[in-house]
Amino acid sequence: MAEAAVVAEQFLELPEKLNAFNKAVTTKVPIAQTPKEVVWALNKAKLYRYIPVVPEEKRLPVPLLLVFALMNRPYILDLRPGHSFVEFMVKQGYDLYLLDWGSPGPEDKNLKFDDYTLDYMPRAIRKMKVISGSKEFSMLGWCIGAILATVYAALRPDDGLRNLILLTAPLDFSNKQGITFARWVDERYFDVDKVLEATGNMPGEMIDYGARALKPVDNYVLNYLKLWDNIDNPQVVDAWMAMNTWVTDNVPLAGGAFRQLVVDLYRNNRLMRGEWIIRGERVDLKKIRANMLTVIAEGDHITPPCQSEAIMSKVGSKDKELFRVRGGHIGIMAGSGADKITWPHIEGWLRPRSK
Amino acid sequence: MPDERAPNGKDFDPVGAFREVRDNYLDVWAKTMVDAVNSEAYAKATGMMLDTYLTASAPLREALEKSTLQALQQLNMPSRPDFISLAERLTNVEMKLDDLDAKLDEIGNSLKKPSSARPRKPAAARNRGKGAK
Repeated sequence: MAEAAVVAEQFLELPEKLNAFNKAVTTKVPIAQTPKEVVWALNKAKLYRYIPVVPEEKRLPVPLLLVFALMNRPYILDLRPGHSFVEFMVKQGYDLYLLDWGSPGPEDKNLKFDDYTLDYMPRAIRKMKVISGSKEFSMLGWCIGAILATVYAALRPDDGLRNLILLTAPLDFSNKQGITFARWVDERYFDVDKVLEATGNMPGEMIDYGARALKPVDNYVLNYLKLWDNIDNPQVVDAWMAMNTWVTDNVPLAGGAFRQLVVDLYRNNRLMRGEWIIRGERVDLKKIRANMLTVIAEGDHITPPCQSEAIMSKVGSKDKELFRVRGGHIGIMAGSGADKITWPHIEGWLRPRSK
Repeated sequence: MPDERAPNGKDFDPVGAFREVRDNYLDVWAKTMVDAVNSEAYAKATGMMLDTYLTASAPLREALEKSTLQALQQLNMPSRPDFISLAERLTNVEMKLDDLDAKLDEIGNSLKKPSSARPRKPAAARNRGKGAK
């Protein structure tokens, strides 16, 4: 009898659960709430400075620049209050800057890594140095942002970069069997020029499909089941909604940069082979002398660990560390355990090197 | 008030058994799908589908672009390539402004420096000069 009553009760709760589920899936929640100001802009790119909360005399003198991927919004670094890497670092006394690439339009279809690393980044960094009053700086690049940070560090080794942090950095494309994307963009199956001729930029929806299709059941089924099973748990629902807001907010990738990503990197591994030419300059990883921390997510299906390991032996840096974290591509920085493992490790590594 | 506790003391969950079966099934399905999307056959199939779509849609897309361009020209209105060219020029202007802004920052800094950096002569030395006149 008791069992029947519970079943009946659960059945009666079903419409309410469905409503809550529907709301969670369709609602965009407020994100990126740490106070900040725009201090520089060029085309669609913006440089934000987070408003310091620590008195100037207690702040670390070397500013930190965050560089995120080109095809996702960077607010994953500042997802929601209490669960934000940005908020954490600002509270630790860092003078923090974020380079937001914005969303490229049809007029930006020819933008390449050359433009991002030699036109946009040097200018943003120049402004950051003026505002912070420091000739040196630290840079954290995540995913494609780590490629940009690495290329910049190699091409401009005397520009004051003291510390380089690379998160889930797709730099080595030699292991074709271990990288699913490499298989998908193989020249036998994927005509990059034909796609870009039709679309100009690589549409955000196609990139999103590609990322989700790596683990189709996890992303299209289990993700929603997790929400359904925890629909009565406000903490899980809040976290899920914030992440869903970010996941569904995609931006296109500039056509020129996408072509380079496919042809130069995924197909020909030119960066790691020392053959990548950026606006006439060869990217020589040996020229990187900044202190380096590479963070690898052991369960990363987007950037498998094999893509981030080889950089350690290629750079000229003397002070370098490889840190492995259990978790996925996004989870290590935005998951529930990030504030206990990844963030403190990054902060602990950076603090003595920022004085 | 019905007793919602199962004999083993745990909360009674009428769909618990179903959920366990579901999770086991989904776990197997997830692994199978990961293997499937990581295969040459999947890469080939998706590549072929994309290629077919692009090939089939190209004539329509080109015709649409051509007719739109012609219509805009007839109406004496700017087309997408015009806007693209204008946007590129604006970005170049923005870069030049940014460089000017940086130069102004430099000038501002260099103007600030001398007053604090260049040491003033001690008062005795200054007075000595005056006294010699």
